[in-house]
Amino acid sequence: MGEVEKVFTSGLAEKLSEDKIITEDDLDPEFAAEIIRYGGKDVMTCLQCGNCTGVCPISLKIEYKTRTTIKYCQFGMRKQTLETRWVCATCYRCYEHCPADLNPAELMIALRHIAIREGIIPPFVKVAATNLLQYGMTVRPDEAMIKERVKMGLPVLPQTKPGWEEVKKQIVTIIQTTKYDRLLGIAPKEGSE
Amino acid sequence: MTYAYFFGCVIPSRYPGVEYAVRWVMGPSGLKLDVQDVPEFSCCPVPGIFYSTDRDTWLALAARNLCLAQRGRLEVVTVCNGCYSSLLKATEYLSEPKKMGQVNKVLGKVGMKYTGIPEKSGDSGRRIFRPVSVRHFVDVIHTDNVMLELANNVKRSLSKVRVAVHYGCHYLRPTEYTAIDDPNDPVKVDDIVKVLGAESIDYEDKLSCCGAGGGVRSHVVELANSLCEDKFKNISSEGADVIVTPCPFCLLQFDNAQKTFTKRGIPVIHIAQLMAIAMGADISKLGLELHNVSCNPLLAKIGEGAK
Amino acid sequence: MTSPESKKPEEKIGVFICHCGTNIGGVVNCEKVAENISKLPGVVVSKDVKYACSDLGQEDIRKAIRENGVNRVVVASCSPRLHEFTFKKCVEGAGLNPYFMHMVNLREQCSWVHMKEPEKATQKAEDLVKMGVDRSRLLTPLTPREVSVEKSCLVIGGGISGIQAALDIGDKGFKTYLVEKEPSIGGHMAQLDKTFPTGDCAICILAPKMVEVARNPNIEILAYSEVVDIEGYVGNFKVKIRRKPRYVIEDKCVGCGVCAEKCPVKVPNEFDCGFGTRRAIYVPFPQAVPLKYTIDKEHCLHFKTGKCQLCVKACVNQAIDHKQEPIDIELNVGTIIVATGFDTYVPIRKGVYKYWEYKNVITALELERLINAAGPTGGHLVRPSDGVEPKRIAFIQCVGSRNIKLQHKYCSRVCCMYAIKNAQIISEHTPDSEIAIYYNDVRAFGKGFEELYHRVREDYGVEFIRGRPAKLTRDPLTENITIRAEETLLAKITEREFDLVVLSVGLIPAAGTSPIQKMLSLPVSDDGFLQESHPKLRPVETAIEGVFICGCVQSPKDIPDSVAQAKGAASAASTMMIKGKHIVEPLCASVTNELCVGCGLCTEVCPYKAIELKEVDGLTKAVVTEALCHGCGTCAASCPQHAISQLQFTDDQILSELTAALGSTNGAKDSAGGG
Repeated sequence: MGEVEKVFTSGLAEKLSEDKIITEDDLDPEFAAEIIRYGGKDVMTCLQCGNCTGVCPISLKIEYKTRTTIKYCQFGMRKQTLETRWVCATCYRCYEHCPADLNPAELMIALRHIAIREGIIPPFVKVAATNLLQYGMTVRPDEAMIKERVKMGLPVLPQTKPGWEEVKKQIVTIIQTTKYDRLLGIAPKEGSE
Repeated sequence: MTYAYFFGCVIPSRYPGVEYAVRWVMGPSGLKLDVQDVPEFSCCPVPGIFYSTDRDTWLALAARNLCLAQRGRLEVVTVCNGCYSSLLKATEYLSEPKKMGQVNKVLGKVGMKYTGIPEKSGDSGRRIFRPVSVRHFVDVIHTDNVMLELANNVKRSLSKVRVAVHYGCHYLRPTEYTAIDDPNDPVKVDDIVKVLGAESIDYEDKLSCCGAGGGVRSHVVELANSLCEDKFKNISSEGADVIVTPCPFCLLQFDNAQKTFTKRGIPVIHIAQLMAIAMGADISKLGLELHNVSCNPLLAKIGEGAK
Repeated sequence: MTSPESKKPEEKIGVFICHCGTNIGGVVNCEKVAENISKLPGVVVSKDVKYACSDLGQEDIRKAIRENGVNRVVVASCSPRLHEFTFKKCVEGAGLNPYFMHMVNLREQCSWVHMKEPEKATQKAEDLVKMGVDRSRLLTPLTPREVSVEKSCLVIGGGISGIQAALDIGDKGFKTYLVEKEPSIGGHMAQLDKTFPTGDCAICILAPKMVEVARNPNIEILAYSEVVDIEGYVGNFKVKIRRKPRYVIEDKCVGCGVCAEKCPVKVPNEFDCGFGTRRAIYVPFPQAVPLKYTIDKEHCLHFKTGKCQLCVKACVNQAIDHKQEPIDIELNVGTIIVATGFDTYVPIRKGVYKYWEYKNVITALELERLINAAGPTGGHLVRPSDGVEPKRIAFIQCVGSRNIKLQHKYCSRVCCMYAIKNAQIISEHTPDSEIAIYYNDVRAFGKGFEELYHRVREDYGVEFIRGRPAKLTRDPLTENITIRAEETLLAKITEREFDLVVLSVGLIPAAGTSPIQKMLSLPVSDDGFLQESHPKLRPVETAIEGVFICGCVQSPKDIPDSVAQAKGAASAASTMMIKGKHIVEPLCASVTNELCVGCGLCTEVCPYKAIELKEVDGLTKAVVTEALCHGCGTCAASCPQHAISQLQFTDDQILSELTAALGSTNGAKDSAGGG
């Protein structure tokens, strides 16, 4: 059977559902204001011209479309923005080309802020933040690389010197003051100084 | 103005060869610029994680780094687009007194305070505070006298080398903050490549993203690799010998992504490494054998043989 | 005018508190206010009225003046912007100088903003009226001045707006000068092919008007000339105009064109947007008015090398004169109409649309020349890269308009319709063409516009794609352009290939407007176009009296609207000239010569060049040109000697209001118990 035929004769692919209509209960009227609080600009001025999607390298590859996300934000459709929150590469091309002077990349960052505060935290964020608490850097120093550095005659990595404890203490203090550790649910590992 | 090296996280721990190259190029063996180390510099902090999740934390950590530069009255020189964008954006945020006050409350807990670098203003002799200056390595090199010095110090011929320059997103955009180059028509890295004697080729979509930034490489690596593949196709169709970039994260991306879609990768190096090669540095110290995509074809072309 | 310090006859103040229906009366207790005010010294009449502006209300005021000897009137009602003129006329009608009438705003500044607090509003109303009463004691009688108005008009700009304005004024019998910087009048309209929505050929309807202008005995065309200086004020403008040398004697040239045939120099033709060529001696287009040839000094061989006299030898009337010099003339005119028009937006280099980089990306004005039968290709649309007729054509809308990043926030109004009409013209000419218009919104608002929009979709199958193109790429072999855009109505990113891409560029203020704007101190709107007095009610007047604007210099618009506005400006200018005189409001700055030391600070801050240093009895003093003075008070505020006072807003008058507001009235007991 041909492909088209198969579709026609195999019956309905989707489940019947009355949920397809979006009513006010699905919408969050304060969403646009929340986004402004977290650094996005006023999404209501977006004219939906589609320029941002056209220049976005991510929109080219997956279902995600920048403009549609902004529309969801305008409308207050919180749930539908969930899956888009961590795919933006912040290349800022959308901002460069937007005629209404909006910044969709900053909007994605505002959405990330909101996601984190709802408890949706991708694992790599926790790893990097924990590294920062533990080592003072988000990338762990590698034994092999330390040897390479000696071969090249480079100065010893500051992280491996005793003075680094002070730096780590400062970073931990800062993170605790801004309550970032509580936000992400991380702590410096037991046994670290 | 004395500069302060800001290497960030990726270079010292993953591509130390770039650190060697930068030190060699800026130091006494190279351009003899006045540069210092600040051992207390920490992660900038990386924008893809901290700026994305909590702006206040990001700003406090960045301001801490800026305070260290302020203490020594130094101008920060970054060799990474991400660090550049993070620190520069922080200076913009801190130029607002209210924000500065909020950050200083946090910094007060570690005994620091960001004010900017005090100096006497011209006629009145009044003391004013100039924001800490953050500059990209490329911008520091691309000044008239330094370029001249560079031109006079080329020791190795790169005459047949075809270089594909990848600027990277945070060098070019957002133009609200970065203003080093025209976002539609950047020239600085191309100029440096030309002064070193190599040929900077033009390729389709030169200014598009490598795919690594914003946490994409960490979160959805297939998507990142797919973007990188597009770039690779455009570059290889023009027949490049090497990809040169001013950002170590783009470097990491090109270096690691190519094996997922091609067997014959194009070597990728940092602009500082290219400068070091051209200016006659010891190639064995540039860490090229640590790169995942072999740099041997490039070295062969410039007559330095396989390692 | 009497000085404020001299002894005045005893003031008899009449106060009228207006209810304005329930607008004021519904919040403020007008009877109570009137009663309390009646206790103030000098107040002989204090009453509340339902509608002060009505005939009854006005009669009340007049009666008070006639029967109670009231010689200062305070009307406490709405904003002066509405009825100040009414009450002034009312007071004048009863024989009192209108400048003895003072208005207090109890509506916009009291009842309307304090609707929920009637007691406090009433108290505030009383305070406001008290302030007004105290100020009225210090008012001085002022006499408006009359200036004569020359019965002649200068129209700057010879496009369709300038032409229409000149025709209207000339027909009324006034001497009109039409100045145009190009060698011929006609403006951009002469470059267009057919116009929307009817498809009229632009030059076919324009040329008869141009000829009419030339024939009208009252209109003098000064083509190839520029305004270099304007001095004076309403009714009496002194204009200096530089007539640029054509190097052709206008009286001798008959426009035969033999000189151009012989000229060896070929130059890209500006009129054809660089597509065709013209000679160094040329007329911009065949229907030029005046039909006189002009030599382009920059490219003429004779000026470059001293040799080549081919045109001189060819001309049977010996009309060529390479030695011509510019001539400056001075004109005295009563009114000025600025109609300097628009330029089209030029896309940036290396931008998204690659206008400078790709040959087959052109602007809409360039397209007009290519499809125009009198254009460089005889009306056959061909691609710039290979001269082949394009079948697949894309229009990109909103280029240089509606874009905050480019600082052109406004909509250029004509681009949607001209793209639609061009799509129709091309479809008619090439029936198998495939046309796509990439739009953000389609604005088809005028008479016949929506019908044309419908027609291009129904009869010609033009495709409308909602989406803003994000990327243009070129095939190096065929020079075809691929447009990538998100088609927002499909929510999909698509790529389509076209043979030709036309950018629907927006309109920007013409380059020649800026020097005129500076000479006349004309205000400019946020969008860069010249600003009208009032956006709704005074669209052709400007802040400078006697100067009017019309056409695209005021804001982008199409031909019907330009013509209508030109007629409006002509009518406004004519009204002034018919009367032959103009009343100048006496609310201007007044210099006390004894105090003035001639420092000149006031001359530096005046935005209207209305105050100058002149010799008065052998000493340098500041002198105000009352017809230019707008009464803004900047000079008065800047004078370190306090030698300048702003009439009707003197320091004493304003301070008296402050004193009343803060609780102490001139010596009398304060019945309201503190302000």
